[in-house]
Amino acid sequence: MIKHKVSPQKIIIVFTGILFGIFLLLPMVTILFKSFCEDGNVTFKFYANLFSDGSIVKAFGNSVLVSSVSGVITTVLAFIPAYAINYTNINRKIKKIISTLIMFPMLLPTITYGFAIIYSFGNQGLITKFLGGHFVDIYGMAGLIIGYVIYTLPVSFMLINNTMGYIDKKFMIVSRMMGDSRLKCFLATVITPLISTLAVSFIQSFTLSFTDYGIPAALAGNIELLSTRLYNEMLGSLPDFNTGSAVSIIMLLPSILSIILISVLNKYNIRYSKISVVELSGNRARDIIFGLISAVIILCVLSVFAVIFIVPFVEQWPYRMNFSLEHITEIFSDDSLMSVCRNSLFVALLTSVFGTLIVYGTALVSARRSEHRRYGKLPDIISLITNTIPGMVLGVAYLLCFKGTFMHNTFAILVICNIVHYFSSPYLMMKSSLEKLNAGWETTARLMGDSWIKTVLRIITPNAVSTLFEVFSYFFVNAMVTVSAVIFLASTRTMIVTAKIKELQHFANFNEIFVLSILILITNLAVKGLVRLFAVIQKKKGKSI
Amino acid sequence: MLELKNIEKSFDNVNVLNHVDFSVEDGEIVSILGSSGSGKTTLLNIILGIIQPDCGEIYFDGHDITEVSMENRGFNIVFQDYALFPNLNAYGNIVYGLKNKPDISTPEEVQELIELLGLKEHLNKNIEQLSGGQKQRVALARTLVMKPKILLLDEPLSALDGVIKESIKDKIKQIAKEYHLTTIIVTHDPEEALSLSDKVMIINGGTILQYAKPSEIINAPSDDFVTEFILRQLEIKRNNILALFGSDKAVVV
Repeated sequence: MIKHKVSPQKIIIVFTGILFGIFLLLPMVTILFKSFCEDGNVTFKFYANLFSDGSIVKAFGNSVLVSSVSGVITTVLAFIPAYAINYTNINRKIKKIISTLIMFPMLLPTITYGFAIIYSFGNQGLITKFLGGHFVDIYGMAGLIIGYVIYTLPVSFMLINNTMGYIDKKFMIVSRMMGDSRLKCFLATVITPLISTLAVSFIQSFTLSFTDYGIPAALAGNIELLSTRLYNEMLGSLPDFNTGSAVSIIMLLPSILSIILISVLNKYNIRYSKISVVELSGNRARDIIFGLISAVIILCVLSVFAVIFIVPFVEQWPYRMNFSLEHITEIFSDDSLMSVCRNSLFVALLTSVFGTLIVYGTALVSARRSEHRRYGKLPDIISLITNTIPGMVLGVAYLLCFKGTFMHNTFAILVICNIVHYFSSPYLMMKSSLEKLNAGWETTARLMGDSWIKTVLRIITPNAVSTLFEVFSYFFVNAMVTVSAVIFLASTRTMIVTAKIKELQHFANFNEIFVLSILILITNLAVKGLVRLFAVIQKKKGKSI
Repeated sequence: MLELKNIEKSFDNVNVLNHVDFSVEDGEIVSILGSSGSGKTTLLNIILGIIQPDCGEIYFDGHDITEVSMENRGFNIVFQDYALFPNLNAYGNIVYGLKNKPDISTPEEVQELIELLGLKEHLNKNIEQLSGGQKQRVALARTLVMKPKILLLDEPLSALDGVIKESIKDKIKQIAKEYHLTTIIVTHDPEEALSLSDKVMIINGGTILQYAKPSEIINAPSDDFVTEFILRQLEIKRNNILALFGSDKAVVV
């Protein structure tokens, strides 16, 4: 028990501490410093300037308004398919299809949504033509809201669907037996236990929209948002890093507030001691209505993306509509575009390999019972902090902190930025999965002569493989689609697809934009497919022995 | 012989064990009997070496092992939930320790254990395919392969039902006898403790109330707690069962 050897757990934690000290704490301190200091003196000048002309208040107000409206619409829309899955007797296969398709937007960068919306609802848009008229002005509020709803629908659906799965449906029977009306039963046994989740869904969707840059990059039009303002302060025609830092801090505040709110709300979640499996009452009308509305929601989302697969495959949208592979072959023979794709793949692979290792190592320390468990507080805190920092703010902070250092313009900075940005969710995923494994394994294996590392390799890892792959694919997909942070960090040498799409916007090269988006989509689908395949093989292997 | 001298332990200023003092002879089966919160699991963990006592000493065969690490004490444990490794089959679990210490048991000894515990036809099964009793026997075999100097069993019967319970009891007795193995069992069930062990230690609120042979506990309970909670429970059980069989038979039994 009394050993003076340095344990591997300690090494993991020290390494993590140093990594996040340099790549989380330092940049965040820098950005705060930058927003309050000029030539070594403390000043409120940059904030004062921002507020003096009122433009920042306007931008902030616009961001709040558009994000709130999106949050409400998203939460209402996400409720319907979640209800269809948990409370109707729709065929199980159809339920599976609903819950899979609704996740589809997650596989594409938000910046693509913007352009897809332009080509769907714009003057020459696919849906505009299909419906025979121009009915919505997409440059501005309407477009932004459509984009944000599509963007946040998967997250909102996941939250609501997850909580609904843990609601004990037996209470519906009890409520009806006690003489409640249908409406009262619905309010008491479905809505009440969901209230805090619905609020979390709103806040989550609000925060994602509030801090996203991809959608406004294409659709903001004349409306100034906080995110477009931040971009212009940092990378616009007249860059002002101090003011940019001040805008970042203003963007950070609602994020911090929302994370606090979410953690408070989660405490109000109703927990059922156990979930009973209950036959839901037969009600064909209910099943058909919810099935149909869910199908319509999914169709609407998918129809927006249809243009991606059409525009690059015709001669010249929308005038010469003959099928043609001309653009495709052109793009595939363009070496600079292909090298951008290779860069993205490279960054995504490195992000997922190293991200998975760090998440696994830290979760092992914090989730498994040992004398080192108290060190697990550090990754817990890191997870909490990274969760509050929007990608854009992190990107700006890195730009300020590492400009001029050897890290500048490297792939390493992109990889590390992604790992720090996306650390929280996979860490919590890994931790909860490791906590569920039998707590006695380490002690038992140690009594059989194993060292900790040996137990991790021989016992823990084989039993955590499926979560490890989930974590891997989470990092991979997000590294492929992320726009907000990397847009400040990708250089000509390290250009990746999402940043390239932003650049192509200037030249209105939509064929390229859509083909690159398709490539991202295919890569993500391939990785997800491989992970799924692997999970199935694992399951079969488990059963056949 | 295992001796514990004046062991004390507190967690967050709550006293969990007070002046715990006892010894266990070689080859004896001893049960530590107490309800949840009595300190019995803490005591087990201190013997095993997972946790250190705040004060007091532990001696094994005359050597002070208080500061000796868990893996160097040479004791071993079967946990209540068995902690079997699901990525390995039954056999893989049984021979797990041999990968680290190849010479600790010969192949013949391993075979003998497998025979003794009736596991021959289950060796290639996955852990999920095993019944509760089979899991318990695999876990016992896995531990016995390591030739522990003391075998610790944490609630070995609580997850089993009826007849299986009785057969595992017999196996534990048989193993202790055949290998002359000192066995310490933690349980909350008086019937289990008194019918399985050579000696029973009743612990409550971190203090040993009585440490004696089962017959002595039945005939000369040392304490009101022992009478009220331990013996009363057994009597109610006995009366219920006797009533089931009818009072005539009760007299015969």
